[in-house]
Amino acid sequence: MRARISSFVLPALIVVVAGATVPFLVGFNQYYVLLALQSVIIASIALAWNIIGGYAGQLDLASFAYVGLGGILATTLMTEYNITPWVGMFLGAGVSATLAFFIGYPLFRFGVKGVWYALSTAALVVILHEVSIMVLGSFDYYIPFVEGWYYLRFRTWENLYYFSLIILAFVISLNLYISRSKVGYYLKAIREDEVAAEAVGIDIRKYKLLALMTYASILGFIGYIYIVSQRTFSYKTFDSSLSVYIAIIGIVGGLGSVSGTFTAALILKVVEEYLRGYLGGVLPGLHLLLFGVLLITVGILRPEGLSTLTDALVKKVKARIWGGAP
Amino acid sequence: MLPSSNLILQSVLDGVFLGFLYSLMALGLSLVFGVMGIINFAHGDFIMLGSYLVWILANSLRSDPSLMSVITVPLFFTIGAAIYVAIIRPVLGKEPLIQIAVTVGVGYVLQNLALMMFRAEPRAVQISYLNFYVNLGLVSVHTAKLTSALLSLFIVLGVHYLLTKTWVGLAIRATAYDKEIASLMGINVGKIFLLVFGLGISLTGLAASLWMTFGQADPYIGSSFGLLTWVIIALGGLGGVSGLLASSIIVGVIQSLTMTLVSPSVSLAIPYIVFIIVLWFRPQGLFGKG
Amino acid sequence: MSDAVLLEVVNLSKRFGGITALNNVSMRITKGEILGIIGPNGAGKTTLVNCVTGIYKPDGGKVLFLGEDITGRQPHFIALKGIARTWQKIRPFYNMTVIEAVTAGALLRTKDVLKAREEAAEILEFVGIPRSKFEVLGKNIALIEHKLVDLARAIATKPKLLFLDEVVAGLRPHEVDVIADVVKKVNREMGITLGVIEHVMRFVMNISDRIVVLHEGRLLTQGKPAEVARDPLVVEAYLGTKPV
Ligand SMILES: Nc1ncnc2c1ncn2[C@@H]1O[C@H](COP(=O)(O)OP(=O)(O)OP(=O)(O)O)[C@@H](O)[C@H]1O
Ligand SMILES: [Mg+2]
Repeated sequence: MRARISSFVLPALIVVVAGATVPFLVGFNQYYVLLALQSVIIASIALAWNIIGGYAGQLDLASFAYVGLGGILATTLMTEYNITPWVGMFLGAGVSATLAFFIGYPLFRFGVKGVWYALSTAALVVILHEVSIMVLGSFDYYIPFVEGWYYLRFRTWENLYYFSLIILAFVISLNLYISRSKVGYYLKAIREDEVAAEAVGIDIRKYKLLALMTYASILGFIGYIYIVSQRTFSYKTFDSSLSVYIAIIGIVGGLGSVSGTFTAALILKVVEEYLRGYLGGVLPGLHLLLFGVLLITVGILRPEGLSTLTDALVKKVKARIWGGAP
Repeated sequence: MLPSSNLILQSVLDGVFLGFLYSLMALGLSLVFGVMGIINFAHGDFIMLGSYLVWILANSLRSDPSLMSVITVPLFFTIGAAIYVAIIRPVLGKEPLIQIAVTVGVGYVLQNLALMMFRAEPRAVQISYLNFYVNLGLVSVHTAKLTSALLSLFIVLGVHYLLTKTWVGLAIRATAYDKEIASLMGINVGKIFLLVFGLGISLTGLAASLWMTFGQADPYIGSSFGLLTWVIIALGGLGGVSGLLASSIIVGVIQSLTMTLVSPSVSLAIPYIVFIIVLWFRPQGLFGKG
Repeated sequence: MSDAVLLEVVNLSKRFGGITALNNVSMRITKGEILGIIGPNGAGKTTLVNCVTGIYKPDGGKVLFLGEDITGRQPHFIALKGIARTWQKIRPFYNMTVIEAVTAGALLRTKDVLKAREEAAEILEFVGIPRSKFEVLGKNIALIEHKLVDLARAIATKPKLLFLDEVVAGLRPHEVDVIADVVKKVNREMGITLGVIEHVMRFVMNISDRIVVLHEGRLLTQGKPAEVARDPLVVEAYLGTKPV
């Protein structure tokens, strides 16, 4: 039994330990620490997406509906009522999971799938975007500066970064745990063929809903950290194209592959930042254009994404650690 | 304060006009999905690209945008055919997710190409011959909207005629029905696909020309038209021209009414709310065959 | 108790638009038997299995399993009750390994993944898939292997009744013999009652205890394999001439 627990906790620990050295490596340069924080947030969101998109095979395009809802809730509770985000983030998770339930239950109940599922979830982001213009107005809300662990906000970015690493570790472990558990087998079976899955006794509605709500609650939880890392929120937090971008990371990484999704998130974020830094002034959107090209190339030439490469690497590392036996 | 009945009538009329244009926008998408089974997430971005092209052409030629269709239609047919060969053909018959991925990729390229070239500002043409209102007492008619509605209807019916009454149309419908049987009947399925994809994209070029007689180009209209046209297809169900027209007009009218009576942001959200609810109860579309 | 009725179908009907795929079909499957279900193309055999297993909701009639009315229940409920099936048109889990696919079936009766994997491995060996194939992805195996994995996946749910929808269609003669042996073993050694839909007469006549014949959505006749083979109605149905 111990071997099994280590198999999904160890990789997460390795990532945390390696990640924790980053601030030291960059000499606490705030630009790079913030970049690392944003990368970890994106990786966590993409890995949460992996549960509904990668394992369950539902092309969900609503990630920032849940990030926005949970995040704006926790932020508002903090600024308006002085409620600590430690509570707010869990409430955010709960609210996002509830929204996911009300969206997912009827969609799965009535058998909405494939492209229609993708479109409904894309529509959800647009709906929240427009509704929040009515509710919030078209302003950017800047969070007044408060400091300390009670608010999870600090003068420098390191503490929040370490905190985000813990969330990332949790999401990685959860992914690995799911993929080795009954739920994971069932979600993958649903991804491969819903009818055949039902016929071997899988309650496909229940398991899809479970995957969707798990994903949504992680995003609702992360929302606060995301907003703090952006320093602001507004109706624009309900961002359709970022939501599509998360799904792109999942596809480029390889559906259901934890190492592939993680790698894709980091590479794309770093490339994005590089291109934005060097060319953004001259050509805004170039990095996204290149992602488009990358996506086309992956779709045509390597539909399994980066996963074959990263899986091979993980195997090698494992073999090193355990001395050969897989 | 209740809105006057005139205002409502006016807004319904504008919605109907807009709806006809939407039907033209959705027609190409419906063809490509219905015949080839290709899930094109870049459809709206072609309308966006067309709008910019029309903006450049109409301003530099100092002429009406609708006339630019003479250029956009053949050009977009060629672009569509090229994209089919390079990008779509390799993923034919693959999992929907892969098809969505590559077309999202195409959409990203187009959208960010526009962003790089034109930045994010909206652009409208300087000359539009028909950009005025004719007052009819109860309501006034925006002539550009009226013309684009009539032309859209004409084209939609024309394509319907092409599909139902000509040999090519028969071949297209046979292919849509069953690729294998069609090719056994001696139909060159590859050519039909090329034709349909080219036609689908060229129709976006046409729709863009009409849109620009009263609308604006910006890099983000692609996403909204893309989602909106999918919504129309979902409501209309595949195949029927009457379903397409009916659902387009419903969407147009709903949008226009909520714009007048509630607020612009609600008018953008409402078609999607309707869409999700309709999907729950009729996954095959409001007018689709059950 | 060897003639205990396991499944009883009463006046089952199913229409698709204008086509009546099943027209008031009534039949029984007894515990322990191998029932052959035959009939020309379009007779309604697959539709019968789909209605029994909950893939389609019948338009009329009843399905009773061990006396319990399961008509129109959801497929996963029916699988849990103990009816499994294989697919005429294969429905493999392409991006899962062979062992994972069968484990997914075995997880119906346990939560423990390790235990389910062990069961899956045993069943795979039982149907004749060598261990060397266990870690191969579904998309990389041959047709006969697909059929066997599909069979293993269904057996893994520990059914009381298992429908095989044309397991040997498209296979070569020696492969047919391999599957015939496996099917007999499933019935005798595992004690699973079987409903075997088949066009390949040599196969179905050889393994069945009893045969029912469907034709144009109706139950044409039933009996011992030898009787059915001699029945003029059956011969005519297969030759395509309608009895007047
Ligand atoms: N999903 C469906 N939609 C419409 N018609 C269907 C559907 N499934 C079956 N049918 C029709 O019902 C009839 C019976 O089909 P079924 O597949 O049950 O026949 P079968 O006996 O299994 O034939 P075969 O030996 O060819 O497999 C056929 O006319 C078929 O076309
Ligand atoms: Mg059949």
